[in-house]
Amino acid sequence: MTADALPRQRSVAIPPETWLSRHRGAIIRHGIIWLFLLIIVAPLVWVLLMSVKTLPASMRPQIWPDSFDFSHYAYVFEKIDTLPHNMFNSIYVTGGTVLFTTLFAVLAGYALVHLRPRGARVIVLAFLLSLYFPTRVVSIISIYEIQNYMGLINSTTGLILPYITLNLAISVLIMRSVFQLVPHELFEAAKIDGAGPWKSLWMVGLPMVRNGLVVVFIVNFVTAWGEYLLCLTLTNDQEARTMPVVLAMAAGGLGQWAWPRLAAVYVIVVLPGILAFIFAQRLFFKGLMEGMVKG
Amino acid sequence: MTAVAQQRYGAAQGRSLFGLGLNTWLFLAPALIFFLWYQVYPIVRVIWISFTDFRFLTGEPGQWVGLDNYIEALSDPLMWTSLWRAALFTLMFLPGTIIFPLLLAILVDRVKNQRLATFYRVILLIPAVIPSTLIFVLWKWMYNFQVGPVNLLIETLGGTPQMWLGGTELTLPSIAIMEIWWGLGYHTIFFLAGLAAIPKDLPEAARLDGANEWKIFWYVTLPRLQPIMAILVVLRFGTAMAVIDEYLIFGGFNRDFPTYTWTIFMYDQAFQIGQWRQGFAAAIGMIGAMGMMIVVAGLLWIFRPKG
Repeated sequence: MTADALPRQRSVAIPPETWLSRHRGAIIRHGIIWLFLLIIVAPLVWVLLMSVKTLPASMRPQIWPDSFDFSHYAYVFEKIDTLPHNMFNSIYVTGGTVLFTTLFAVLAGYALVHLRPRGARVIVLAFLLSLYFPTRVVSIISIYEIQNYMGLINSTTGLILPYITLNLAISVLIMRSVFQLVPHELFEAAKIDGAGPWKSLWMVGLPMVRNGLVVVFIVNFVTAWGEYLLCLTLTNDQEARTMPVVLAMAAGGLGQWAWPRLAAVYVIVVLPGILAFIFAQRLFFKGLMEGMVKG
Repeated sequence: MTAVAQQRYGAAQGRSLFGLGLNTWLFLAPALIFFLWYQVYPIVRVIWISFTDFRFLTGEPGQWVGLDNYIEALSDPLMWTSLWRAALFTLMFLPGTIIFPLLLAILVDRVKNQRLATFYRVILLIPAVIPSTLIFVLWKWMYNFQVGPVNLLIETLGGTPQMWLGGTELTLPSIAIMEIWWGLGYHTIFFLAGLAAIPKDLPEAARLDGANEWKIFWYVTLPRLQPIMAILVVLRFGTAMAVIDEYLIFGGFNRDFPTYTWTIFMYDQAFQIGQWRQGFAAAIGMIGAMGMMIVVAGLLWIFRPKG
């Protein structure tokens, strides 16, 4: 740390200055960062390498495979018969959840800031309180009862309903703080031009909150794609379950759940999200900062 | 400016922008309906059944029993053990999930090269976009006794392989390490946002006055990060105390396991054993939740904005 503040003075004191000594602080700094990056990436690299190992090699204590075997990716889709089903469930449930939660959050965030209903403060407070209370854990008892009452136990579509609320509160609060950054005068102007509340949200509001939308979208995708507790509790058959829950139940070992095959399924399930994030990272970081202003 | 301010004031006081109260409620209705339906009602219902002898599988409505469930739970040593286990996990998890990201944020904040800084941020945030269950599955394999790389690394370094999960004493620390890994990048981004909000001339001025880097950190940077740290501590206390998925995946329902916390105790009673004594389970859940709320209130009071 101190080395960082001193290099100029040192260059006067000690004439034979090497590149190494001049950059020592920066090298240590970047070295520590890279160590953390390595710790973050290592488990993912391990699973990626595991998915291309041959079956016998997967049981040997070595990280790098002797020869690469890419056949597991084809195998898991051809031979594990519930897999395409679970994959579809995941996409279906996550798609529905993300769509509805984002839509509801945009509508509510816009209304709370720019339509200014009475009782907006009470609503915001209620959403905020639900974040501090262990709602997800305690409410599971009665959510089972609700779903049972509506005949939605073991229904994949039925999962979407409670999934929507998992991140609803935080999504509304994020959209609210993003909409607070949009000048109210823009909507006033739209109103003078004859636009109604729906049209002014669509034409004026949405383009201004693009970054926040990306954040809400990703946050909800991540939660729904990986949800465990509700899916485990509200469904009984492997057919009705989502991919991560099936993966969590699968015991690694032999046969169709041999380690490289398990790893191949894992890579297929985890990669779309990571790639989508890397693709949208610029918008995501901007949105995160906007959402944090008051969130 | 004053005109605008007055206009805003007027709008906030009086009717909404478009004058139609009904339209405003149409915008709010979907979010509110779902919030009331799947969050508020279930909590109210759980509070209600915690005062009844409701057993789900009997199919009969519960009878009012007053505080019986609470008395039974509080006189059960398992209630206290399970609460203590959750607290123990929180104590293992909370310091690491603040200190490492703070250190990392200070280092990344000094990276001048914009491309490199962006690269670091993207890599750091990758675990945050991996869905929860997939994190747990990945680390279940990392800790696997036979093929897991954690044991492989330990053997390479000359140690003895350990049983990391499955009810051993190492289970809670193992889960804590996993959680710290998971939140590392996300919390770093939090702190980076806080660091970016500190005016650059403040540390510069202190430096000119002859303060060393450590003093600058302690007297200039840290006090300004305190609001963010407070939010993180309160939020992560909440998640750590109410962990359930991890314990279901890594532990199960053995009462002697360190993963049998109040959340698992509740789940066990509500969905696993006997006739699903959900009245009793609801009381367990409310005791855990109330205990958490008391600590959260205490934390918010400690971190209250001063002056």
